[in-house]
Amino acid sequence: MTTAQPEMAPKSFRPVEFEVTDNGEGFLLGSHCGNCGAHFYPVRVACSGCLHNDLETVRFSTTATLYTFSVVRQSTPEFEVPYALGYVDLPEGVRVMAQLTGRPPEDYEIGMEMELVVQPFGTDEDGNEKTGFRFRPKEGSQ
Amino acid sequence: MTGVHVLGIGMTRFGRHPDKDAADLGSAAFQEAVADAGIDPRLIEAAYCGHVFQGMVTGQRILAQVGLAGIPLSNVENACSSGATAIREASLAIRAEEHDVVVAVGTEHLTTKFRGALTPDPSDPEAAVGATMPGVYAMRARRYMEEFGMTRRQLAMVAVKNKRNAAANPLAHFRDEITIEDVLESRPIADPLRLLDCSPVTDGAAAVVLVSDRAATKLGDGRTIRLAASTLFTGSVEVEPTTMTFEPLTQKTAQAAYERAGIGPEDVDFAEVHDCFSIAEVLRVEGLGLFEQGTYPGAVERGEADIGGRLPINPSGGLLGKGHPLGGTGVAQVVELVRQLRGEAGDRQIEGVKVGLAHCRGGKAVGIEGAACTVQVLVK
Repeated sequence: MTTAQPEMAPKSFRPVEFEVTDNGEGFLLGSHCGNCGAHFYPVRVACSGCLHNDLETVRFSTTATLYTFSVVRQSTPEFEVPYALGYVDLPEGVRVMAQLTGRPPEDYEIGMEMELVVQPFGTDEDGNEKTGFRFRPKEGSQ
Repeated sequence: MTGVHVLGIGMTRFGRHPDKDAADLGSAAFQEAVADAGIDPRLIEAAYCGHVFQGMVTGQRILAQVGLAGIPLSNVENACSSGATAIREASLAIRAEEHDVVVAVGTEHLTTKFRGALTPDPSDPEAAVGATMPGVYAMRARRYMEEFGMTRRQLAMVAVKNKRNAAANPLAHFRDEITIEDVLESRPIADPLRLLDCSPVTDGAAAVVLVSDRAATKLGDGRTIRLAASTLFTGSVEVEPTTMTFEPLTQKTAQAAYERAGIGPEDVDFAEVHDCFSIAEVLRVEGLGLFEQGTYPGAVERGEADIGGRLPINPSGGLLGKGHPLGGTGVAQVVELVRQLRGEAGDRQIEGVKVGLAHCRGGKAVGIEGAACTVQVLVK
């Protein structure tokens, strides 16, 4: 017997690192040290700066600067190639690896201002779509 | 505290071995190392086995094949530094004076475990967004080109050099020399890296017999090479993003090794470094302090890193030319150092060398600069 499920927003592909809110917003999650102020991605148990344990899980900013990128042309079967892969630096002082979107994969530049976008990102074992993140150039970025 | 010395070395041909498994390869290297040491195998007191994807108790399967099951053995996994970590563990057992004769063996039958691009462990958040090892090094290459003006042709020259060295190594996976154009026209893997910028998927194994001072005196026949340092560090969690065009982890591991060996980078005559990708060799030698940051691409172009150059890098052919059977790699580097220091390296012999350095760096975990880094210093 099957029970009708209420319609729900697609689940985050990685709930520990990426929160999808009920209204479809997405936030990268990490840790903020209440003692020394350092930020970490992903969530940590203890601060690597001062070793305090009083870490708070926080949502990070959704803007970033592109540190570097590549066009990946050979990958594992779950990823369709080619795709642009980058490291983006968030204002909190953390660097996050992310796929890039919004332009042809070759068409990014180091130093571009970027923003997080919530997008479908793979499926679970039952074929249900999951939600993940990519970064795209901000409007007006060169 | 006793010193540690290499008494025997062994290594299989690196390449494809469809008719063998990791234990077969490890056994062959093990037996060759014992024969090279010229000792009764019953003198071996303990062993360490480095591998990554070969399954449980691979080292014990090797011992069973060579008739030595019964002695203590630990299998060690540290990604691409697994074999080098086995050497470090073996050296610690000797320095602690628990054992006098210890074998470190590294093995991998990678062709049956992997195709295409190596990736971080699937549990890692970066693997979940599509990280591949070529992709990560490609990003570092792009950033390095932007910061230091390295050209794509200069980067290709690293691969050309290492393939040329491999052509003179009978045990190397690749025996054909290549041109800059071959690199630039090979299949793109992760821009700006192409197929010939990447180390291959390789099967192979290597082993060394390590001994204490007193065992070296008793058994060595004057042929031993001193393992003057064997250091290991893991990368730190970054409190702030750091540069990806320099390797503080490599620098830290090297500095500890130089201190232990009582030398400086200026004393190193040649090195085997972890060139899993062409760009990786650039980052390694600059992190090791063998070349100033930003200068290695020009140095390669001028031939300074060639056999016969000012400071030969990867005379064996490196990972790019000799091949990269993950667990076997770090042990094979030490095998090459010993061959060179003994003067037994044949067509690729570097003249007059006294100090050799080997560097491995393996693994990717989110938020740390690198997972496991090792440096070995061997002195004649």
